[in-house]
Amino acid sequence: MAYQAEPSYQLSDYLEKLSGATLRKLYLQPSTSFAIFRQILSPLAQSFVQALLCMPGPIPVSKLDVWVRPDSRRARDYALATLRSLSIVQITGHGKGNPNVVQLSTNFQKSLRRALESGGDHRTFGIPSTSPVDAEITIDSLDKYSTKKWEEILHYVVNSVGGLDDGGSTGAHRSGPAPSVKRLLLEGHLVKARPGTNRMGITKPGFTFLLQKTNAQVWTLLLLWLDMAERAERASGSSSPSVDMLSFLFMLASLQLGRPYDADALTEARRNMLPALIDFGLIYINPRMPRQYYPTRLVTTLTSSISPLRSVSSGFSAIAAGTSDDVSSLGGVSKPSSRQEGIIVETNNRIYAYTRSPLQIAVLSLFTNLESYYPGLVSARLTRESIRRAISFGITADQIISYLGSHAHQEMRNFARDRMIAAVLPPTVVDQIKLWQLENDRITATPGFLFKDFENPDEYLAIANYADEVGVSAWRDDARQMFFAKKHEPIRDFMKSRKKASE
Amino acid sequence: MPTPQDVVDASVHYQGEQTQSTIPSLLSVIIDTNPRAWSALNNTLTLTQAVANALVFTNAHLAGDNANEVSIIAAHCNRAVWLYPTPPRRNTNAEAAQPPLTGNEFPKFAEIKHSVFTSLRELVSETTEADIKSTTTTQISGALTLALTHINKTSISLTTSRGAGYGGGPTTGSGPVATSTDGLPGLNARIVVLSVSDSNPAQYITTMNAVFAAAHSQIPIDTLCLRGNPTFLQQASYLTRGIFIRAKEPQGIVQYLMLGLNRLPPSFEFASETSPNESSGKKGGGRGGTPFLLPNAELVDFRAACFCHRRVIDTGFVCSVCLSIFCEVPSEGECLTCKSKLQLGNYGARPVVA
Repeated sequence: MAYQAEPSYQLSDYLEKLSGATLRKLYLQPSTSFAIFRQILSPLAQSFVQALLCMPGPIPVSKLDVWVRPDSRRARDYALATLRSLSIVQITGHGKGNPNVVQLSTNFQKSLRRALESGGDHRTFGIPSTSPVDAEITIDSLDKYSTKKWEEILHYVVNSVGGLDDGGSTGAHRSGPAPSVKRLLLEGHLVKARPGTNRMGITKPGFTFLLQKTNAQVWTLLLLWLDMAERAERASGSSSPSVDMLSFLFMLASLQLGRPYDADALTEARRNMLPALIDFGLIYINPRMPRQYYPTRLVTTLTSSISPLRSVSSGFSAIAAGTSDDVSSLGGVSKPSSRQEGIIVETNNRIYAYTRSPLQIAVLSLFTNLESYYPGLVSARLTRESIRRAISFGITADQIISYLGSHAHQEMRNFARDRMIAAVLPPTVVDQIKLWQLENDRITATPGFLFKDFENPDEYLAIANYADEVGVSAWRDDARQMFFAKKHEPIRDFMKSRKKASE
Repeated sequence: MPTPQDVVDASVHYQGEQTQSTIPSLLSVIIDTNPRAWSALNNTLTLTQAVANALVFTNAHLAGDNANEVSIIAAHCNRAVWLYPTPPRRNTNAEAAQPPLTGNEFPKFAEIKHSVFTSLRELVSETTEADIKSTTTTQISGALTLALTHINKTSISLTTSRGAGYGGGPTTGSGPVATSTDGLPGLNARIVVLSVSDSNPAQYITTMNAVFAAAHSQIPIDTLCLRGNPTFLQQASYLTRGIFIRAKEPQGIVQYLMLGLNRLPPSFEFASETSPNESSGKKGGGRGGTPFLLPNAELVDFRAACFCHRRVIDTGFVCSVCLSIFCEVPSEGECLTCKSKLQLGNYGARPVVA
C-alpha cells in the first residue's frame, strides 16, 4: 500500500505553514486577529494571549511558570509552541545570563486590542449597506439558500461513489454545483475522473471531506480555492493574493447573519471573489440589488466551534425548521431540530437512522448494508464486508466512528449520560470496527522527520524531551539515541535557542 | 513497538475520535454602581472608564468561543438592574434597540456596548437624591441573586434544547460527563463582581444565601475590589473557590481583569491541549483541572452579622437549635428565628479552674 502525506486542508495547518512575514501582514487587520484568536487557539493559549494582551512590555518566560501549575508544564509548552508557530508571541533571548522574554507580536497585540476595545476606524468588520432592505430576505430564507447550495456540493461528492446506484435513489432533483465548484473539487482531488467513463469517482480525501463537520468542510473548500488561486497567480507572475483573500474570509466570518452589507465598499479584488463565494453558498446576493451582499450561516459560523448546519447527516431539513430566533437569547447556540433525528447503534451492530435526508442515507450506505427503508427511518447493519468495502474506498475506521459518534441519537447520549459513561457508542461496536480495519490495515503511517546522530547524550535527551513536551514526538529510542517527530519547526527553533543559550 | 493488534484488547476500549464538544461559558459581571463610592473614586477612575474596561474583559470572554455568553448587572444603591441582556420593554421601539453598525467592531460587541450604556444612562437619570441619601452601600445581594437566576435559567434552557436532539450536546465528550455530575449541567458559569462599596451588614443573610446557592452549583464568585471593604464578598470568594483581588491601583483595572481574573472553564481538559500520544489525561486537583495557579487569598474576614440587629460581630450568642447568631440575648431567651426556648445557663460566671 502506498503511503504519502496528503495535503492537509485544516486551517491551523495552513496558517502554520505561512511565513512569519505573511502572518504578521495578516494580523494587521483587527478582524483577522480576532478570528484567529477565536478559531485556532486552544483555551489555554487564549488565556495566555489574554494575559499578555495588556502587558506594556515583554515579560520573562519564567513568569509564566508562576501562573501555571507545575504539573501542567506540557500543556503550557504546547500552547506556547502553537503561539510561536503562528507568530503570535515572540520569545527572545539576550544571550547567556539574561532570561528569555515573551511578548505578543506587535501587530497581533494592536489588532486584537482594537477588536476587543471596539475602537478605532479600521472598518474591517464589514461595511453595512445603507440602501433599502428587501424584506423577503430573512434568516430563514438565507439558511434555506445556503443549505441548498452546500447540499448540492456534498451530493456531487457522494454521488460520485463507485458501485452505488446514484441518480435514482438519492434524488433526481440535482442540478449539481456550479462548474467552478466541480472544477475545484476535481483539482483538489476530492473527486477524480473515473477512467473510461465521464463520471466522477470519489477519492480518499473526498471521504475525509464528506465525514467532516460542516465547518471543517467549508474551510477545506476555501483553502483549496486559495491554493488554486495562488497557483494561477503564480503562473501569471503576479504577487500572491492569498493574504488579502484570507483576510477577506476572516472579515466575512465576523459579519452578522441577516444583515445586508455594502458590496461597493469592497476593494475590486475582493469584489471579484464574490461570485465564487456565491457558488459555495457562503454569501447571497439578491439579483435585484447587486450592491448588497448577505452573509449566510455557513460563513458567519466559520470561526466558531459550533457546527453551522450540523454536519452531513443532520437532516438538512431540520435547519429550515427553527433556527431563526436563536439570535435573541443565546447567540451561537442553534435551536434544536426535530427530536427524532439521529443514529442509534446497537451492540449487535445494527443501526437505526432516524432521518429523511437522502444525503445521510447515501453516506450511511458507504459503510453499512442498508436493510430496510421506512418513512423517516432506515435500518442498516454494520458487517465485516460493509466495513471492508468502505476501507477499500479509502474510508478509515476513525472516520466511521467519529461520524457515528457525532450523529448519535439523543437517546444514545442520554443513555450514556445516565450511566456516566464517556463513550456514546457501544464499545463493542467501536472495537469491532477497529478490528475489521486492522485485518487488512496493519500499518499506520506517520509522516515526519527522523532525528539522529546527536553530538552527545545530553543534547539528545534535551531535544527528545522537548519534542515530547510539545507533542510532536511520534517515537523514540533512547538506546540508539534517535527519535521521530511529526513536525520539525518547533524542534528547529528549540535547537537554535539552545545553541544560542550555550554560546 | 506494540503491534496494532495490541492496541485493541478486551480491557482497553478504543477512545480515540469520540466527539469533542465544548460547553458554553456564561460570564456574569456585576458592576457596583454605588454613586457615593464612584464620586469618591472619581479622581482615579470614573464609572464610564470602569465599564468600558469591563467590556473589554467581557469581549475577550466572548471572543473565546461563539457559544460563550455574558450578562452584565448593575448593583445600584437601591436596586439591581440588568444592563445586558435587558429585559424586553413594553414601550421601546425596535429601532432604538439596534445599535448602528459601523464596520469597526464585531456586531455582538456593539450590541452589548449599546445596551449597557443605554441602560446605565437610564439608571443614573432615574436615581433620585432620596435614593442616594437612603443608603451608603449597594444592592449586592440582589445583583447576585439576579445573576444566579439568569445562570440557572440559561442552564435549563441549554439542557432542554440540547436534550431535544441537537447534535454535539454537552454530554458527548468524555470530560463533560465527569464534570457535570454536580454543578450546572451543560454550562460553565462564573460571576465577577467589580466592587467599590463596603458590605452592608443588613444584607448578610441574603448575600450568604446567594453565596451558598452559588457554591452548591459550583459557580465561582470572583471579586475585584477597587475600593472599600466588601467583607461578605471576600467570604463569597472563599466559599465558592473564587478569586478575590484588592486593586491597589484602580486605573489598572483592565490588567487586573485580564490577568488576575483570567481563568479557564473548569471542564477544560488536558487531553485536548496536549498531544494525542500522551495519555496522561490527569486532571488538576480540586480546581477542576485548570492549569493555572490561582492567586492566594489574603486573610479572609469571617465575621458574621447578627440576626437581630445586623451588626458585624466577633463574639455572639448562637441558638443551639437553628444556629442563628445574636449579638445579645434575645428577649425572654426565645430564638427569633425558630422560636425555641433557650436557657442561658450561668453566662458570665467565671470558669472553674481545676
